Amino acid sequence: MTSTIVQEERATRLGMRASAALGEQLADLPAVAKLRAEGAALAAALSWPDGRRERPWKYLDVTKYDLEGLTPAIGAVTRDLVEVRRSCPVTGEQAALVVAQNSEIAIVEVSEAVGLSVAAFEGATGTAAATIAKHLGSRVAPERNRFTALHYAFLRGGVLVEVAANTDVRLPVRIVRGFVSPDQFAAPHTLIVTGANSRVTVIEDFHSSDGELTVVPAIEIVPGPGAEVRYVAIHHWGEKTRVFLEQRTVTERDSAIIAAHIVAGGAVVKGHLESSLQGRGSSSELFSAAIGTDRQHSDFYTVQDHVAPDTRSDLLFKAALSGKSKAVYYGLTRVGLGAKNADANQVNRTLLLSREAKADSDPVLEILTSDVRRVSHGAAAGPVDQEQLYYLQTRAIPLKEAQALLVRAFLGQVIGRIPGEAVQDELTDVIEERMARLR
Amino acid sequence: MNKTPLLEINGLHASIANKEILRGLTLTIYPGEVHAIMGPNGSGKSTLANVLMGNPNYVVTAGGAKLLGQSLLELKPDERARLGLFLAFQYPVAIPGVTLVNFLRQAVSAKQGRDVPIREFRQLLDQQMNLLKVDRDFARRYVNDGFSGGEKKRAEMLQMAMLQPRMAVLDETDSGLDIDALRTVAEGVNTLMNPEMGLLLITHYQRLLNYVRPQFVHVLVGGRIVKSGGPELAEELEANGYDAYEAAAAATA
Repeated sequence: MTSTIVQEERATRLGMRASAALGEQLADLPAVAKLRAEGAALAAALSWPDGRRERPWKYLDVTKYDLEGLTPAIGAVTRDLVEVRRSCPVTGEQAALVVAQNSEIAIVEVSEAVGLSVAAFEGATGTAAATIAKHLGSRVAPERNRFTALHYAFLRGGVLVEVAANTDVRLPVRIVRGFVSPDQFAAPHTLIVTGANSRVTVIEDFHSSDGELTVVPAIEIVPGPGAEVRYVAIHHWGEKTRVFLEQRTVTERDSAIIAAHIVAGGAVVKGHLESSLQGRGSSSELFSAAIGTDRQHSDFYTVQDHVAPDTRSDLLFKAALSGKSKAVYYGLTRVGLGAKNADANQVNRTLLLSREAKADSDPVLEILTSDVRRVSHGAAAGPVDQEQLYYLQTRAIPLKEAQALLVRAFLGQVIGRIPGEAVQDELTDVIEERMARLR
Repeated sequence: MNKTPLLEINGLHASIANKEILRGLTLTIYPGEVHAIMGPNGSGKSTLANVLMGNPNYVVTAGGAKLLGQSLLELKPDERARLGLFLAFQYPVAIPGVTLVNFLRQAVSAKQGRDVPIREFRQLLDQQMNLLKVDRDFARRYVNDGFSGGEKKRAEMLQMAMLQPRMAVLDETDSGLDIDALRTVAEGVNTLMNPEMGLLLITHYQRLLNYVRPQFVHVLVGGRIVKSGGPELAEELEANGYDAYEAAAAATA
């Protein structure tokens, strides 16, 4: 009897009542309120993804985590703003800066105001509210699975980045999100909407404390015709954080998405990245560099769907794994019947630095038209090349340094593909810092 | 002649995959000397180079090798390099993702046992690149990645120039080079050679020896030096080949 009561109580923590209470507290925009109610209803009806039946979840049994016992991020949690700004690990220049602590937007600074607007969902008015109403939930649907349903049910700390047509935002827009409350379920949202022939780089820098946390971010990207969006997520998660992320882009004519995920932390980082190439002449480039230590599990499921003709996709995912860490990659490149002249490339490589590290890789091609320009894919996993190691040693470089040099080179080839010298330097530093943990 | 030997190899036996390749090789090199070891395919030339450098695929079963009086065989390859040994590879491996300039900076710092400041390193690199007539863009490329045969050998010479070894072993440096590339590489070797240094040229053919003149030439057959002499020995080998030596070695084996 007692256990039933406890279970019911726990189940309501991420239930419809809690979701509605959050919406009320945040004074949701009508569009957000609608999605929140939808998400809460779906979350109550759906069960957790089942790896035995759903291929993208094959190597991750989420039922082993006590996700029902988590508490949504409700209540005022913002600390002293000056202190937040001071603790915010930001270097370099940016066009705009957003700092969120525990899903609450603490700071929004826009220094390059022409053609760029950055707004929190909470309290958004005018054109920002209209853009949110038009696009929120259009790319990442609440009904995809229980995580996305819960994402909308407990969405908080949403950020809109909007770029006007013909605007080239020279410096990156930086969103720094820190999560410090333990046992929390957080659902941050980033919505990027850009006008025709514009260009913007958004860097989302995720941090969390060492307590157990579950974060379910969603990134929706809406590039206008001829526009280019570059999105870089830096996963600086704490050692007990579990992340279930969704990123989805639908392209228009000649638009381009370049997205990268740098994994430098987290107990579980599970990402579902999807680009639907619906605009003729559009392109998608997806990149990831991950460093696995201890028992970390990084797990990416990618879909690059060529719908329109003359579309191009490229993908390079790499992981360097030590300890008992694991990297899973399952990727689908689909070339539809109407996608004539498609150019698709998909490569996954894993460096195994310990005997207990593991990689599961499955790049899949699904080609429905014979009229393609080039379609290729490849996967490989193995230890550091012994011949390269010997060569470096003969040049006076000690074994450990030689190994580090090769790991750096391996991941550096991913970083080298991400546009922007300053961004590359920053990501190189992230890798460098994380490499100190490799054993 | 200087009294302290630079490199002393004494009755060296070594195998790879349980097959004995070196069978009692003895050789001494003093500072300022250029030696050439010539031999047919399979005589143990590359094995000698790799055993000296400490390639983990080879096992030394007997004998010894010393550099500047210190036994090499217990040392790891990087320790041997820091002691002053250098091996120019016949087939240097490509390392995509590592630029030559970064690689050289790390190697020079490791060799000198200190973090060489970027300005000082740059100066040294510019100087050595000028000396070897190497294009400036060269250092920005990934190590040996997509290099032509000549570029690879030139990169090996640049590494040698930057590391300033006491004893350099050049394994078939002439293979895969056209005559112009060979001449450039040989010029580089001659420029780098100094009275404190020893040089061991390992080669199948005599053509490199037209440009880098050795004082001593040794014939390696069946894992042993079967004859030693002056430069004239190289010419004799070029004219008559290794047949007589191989027959003699087979008869005594």
